[in-house]
Amino acid sequence: MASPAKSWSIHWRATTSRLLLAYGVFFVIWGMVLLGFIYWETLHYLENRTDLQLKQQVGYLRSLDEEHMLVALNDYVVLEETNYNAWGLFDANGKWLYGDILQIPPGVTPDADTRRLPTDKVVSGPFAPKTSRLSVIAARLGNGQVLVLAHTTRIAAQVGTIIWHALWWGLSFTLVPGLIGGLILNRAPRRRIRQIESVMRPIMQGDLRRRLPVSNRGDELDRLAAIVNDMLDQIERLMGEVKGVCDNIAHDLRTPLTRLRSQLYRVQQQMREDDPHATLIEQCVSDIDEVLARFRALLRISELEDRRRREGFVAVDLGQTLQQVYELYAPLAEDQSLQFTLETEPNLLAQADPDLLFEAIGNLVSNAIKFTPPGGRVSLHARRDTPGTAQIEVMDSGPGIPEAQRHAVWQRFYRGEGGIDTAAGHGLGLSIVAAIARLHDFDLRIEGGQGGTHMVMTCRCFTTI
Amino acid sequence: MPYILVIEDDEITAREIVLELAAHGISADRVHNGLEGFQRALQPHYDAITLDLMLPGMDGLTLVKQLRERGITTPVLMISALGDVDERVRGLRAGGDDYLTKPFAPDEMAARIEVLLRRHRQEHPAQTRLRVADLELDMITRTARRGARELTLLPTEYRLLEFLMRYPGQVLTRAMIFESVWGLRFDPGTNLIDVHIARLRRKVDGEGDPGLIRTVRGSGYRLG
Repeated sequence: MASPAKSWSIHWRATTSRLLLAYGVFFVIWGMVLLGFIYWETLHYLENRTDLQLKQQVGYLRSLDEEHMLVALNDYVVLEETNYNAWGLFDANGKWLYGDILQIPPGVTPDADTRRLPTDKVVSGPFAPKTSRLSVIAARLGNGQVLVLAHTTRIAAQVGTIIWHALWWGLSFTLVPGLIGGLILNRAPRRRIRQIESVMRPIMQGDLRRRLPVSNRGDELDRLAAIVNDMLDQIERLMGEVKGVCDNIAHDLRTPLTRLRSQLYRVQQQMREDDPHATLIEQCVSDIDEVLARFRALLRISELEDRRRREGFVAVDLGQTLQQVYELYAPLAEDQSLQFTLETEPNLLAQADPDLLFEAIGNLVSNAIKFTPPGGRVSLHARRDTPGTAQIEVMDSGPGIPEAQRHAVWQRFYRGEGGIDTAAGHGLGLSIVAAIARLHDFDLRIEGGQGGTHMVMTCRCFTTI
Repeated sequence: MPYILVIEDDEITAREIVLELAAHGISADRVHNGLEGFQRALQPHYDAITLDLMLPGMDGLTLVKQLRERGITTPVLMISALGDVDERVRGLRAGGDDYLTKPFAPDEMAARIEVLLRRHRQEHPAQTRLRVADLELDMITRTARRGARELTLLPTEYRLLEFLMRYPGQVLTRAMIFESVWGLRFDPGTNLIDVHIARLRRKVDGEGDPGLIRTVRGSGYRLG
């Protein structure tokens, strides 16, 4: 299972997630611009209305006589929840007479238009409003005195708060379900990607008959899958052709080579034992036999690779098979002064083709014996591994296979560059083993560090009760 | 002199078979197609048949099936271009006695025919004892002796010796030995059979005894 971090990183890498995030950011910015505009428009409207109000009030107040005006001004400052009003009356020289405004604010001239000034330039004290700006207007009265009115409203701030809240709630109500919905939407494509991955894996391992699933929705993934499937058809056809050419060459060359061999053989039979050419001819015959053996092995691999069915599979006792392999190869090991040991457990049964399994293990043992210098060790083990699997191991004390070459040895015609090609061998043995393992779905790998090759074949196995 | 029926439609292969058999002192009749081959095979004077599986007229598998259904037991060596294990199993199941894949070494083919001939002749008297020169094998007690000397043989060595002694004087190729003694048909590497033969030879041909197990250059081995 993927770790949470990895899982998140997968989420993040998905196209849908990125689109979703980009769209989210765009949505937030757009929302803010829109609401900001509304706020700014509202503010503008309110200030205009304030200005208008101030002008009307000043007009009204200056039409009154002083006594009535002062009464009206006292009404004017009545504290309200949403509005704040202040006034100041100054004599002709600008000296303060009455009101909360203690001096004519700088820049305010009588009978001019309303001005917006910072609050602290106009009024101060505990009753000063919290808003930052005030609208101020001044008018010269009939007696030369100057009346200053100031007004501000909290409505603008309240509207701002409402808009701010609207922004937050709006974003939460759209973004959170949007993100969750996006993740849910994302799941379906991810499931399909996983399906595609699970099909691709065997294809990459060489099973070219598999095809990607195509649903009938006809979406992008389907189109992509269809393209990949077409490509796989093509690859399979080309691979088949290449393999066919290889097989044909092997097949076609066998006939003339066999004929050549039989002619040489006939010459050999007619020769006298002491003829000086006898050894030469014998060498030729054995060389041709070697070539023919390679062709046979090549065709054998093809045959194994083409074989799909498992009808011939029966329950095979691994211990017994190993015992037979051991008996077959023990004299060979002894001839090379190798210490050859066998260790098995009883009751290891695997579903397999007995002859092919024998051939595979025989090939591994044969290789181990071939590449281990005299005096070394070769051991053959079968043991229960995790429940339901058994391991067949062939270990030797030969030069081993370098880590870098391990994946290559299963390929046709590979022979080690550093050491393992010291003995004669046509390098197809391990390819045959690999083909047999693949046919059985057995896992085949090379283990061990320095010193010796350690081949492990993992078989699915069961036990009789 | 043994008399063989060669049913083979390929000219070159047929000539090769007839030539090689002649070299082994075996005479042969050759027919080109399945139907004619079947008619001839019904006659009782053939000792063995080599049968191509892909024939015009009647295919090899049907031919051998029909022969067996009519009670004809003449040994049949099937020859086919198909090397597949399944083909081989099918051929042997239909009633063939041995199976050889094209292209083949003619000496291998001749050796197999000779084994078939001898096996066919031996089938009637149930033998319990084999004897070649002063080498004796008791198949009931599963013991072997060379003259007065008792041989201690491992099970594999015993089976190998028994196979050699069933066909004395006859060339047995390594592939034939591997197939008959071990029941396996893969390429076990060039010298595996040689090593087994060498061990048996050390036991059978003791000091002072004339060598009984002989190596036949380019082919295989022969006892006696």
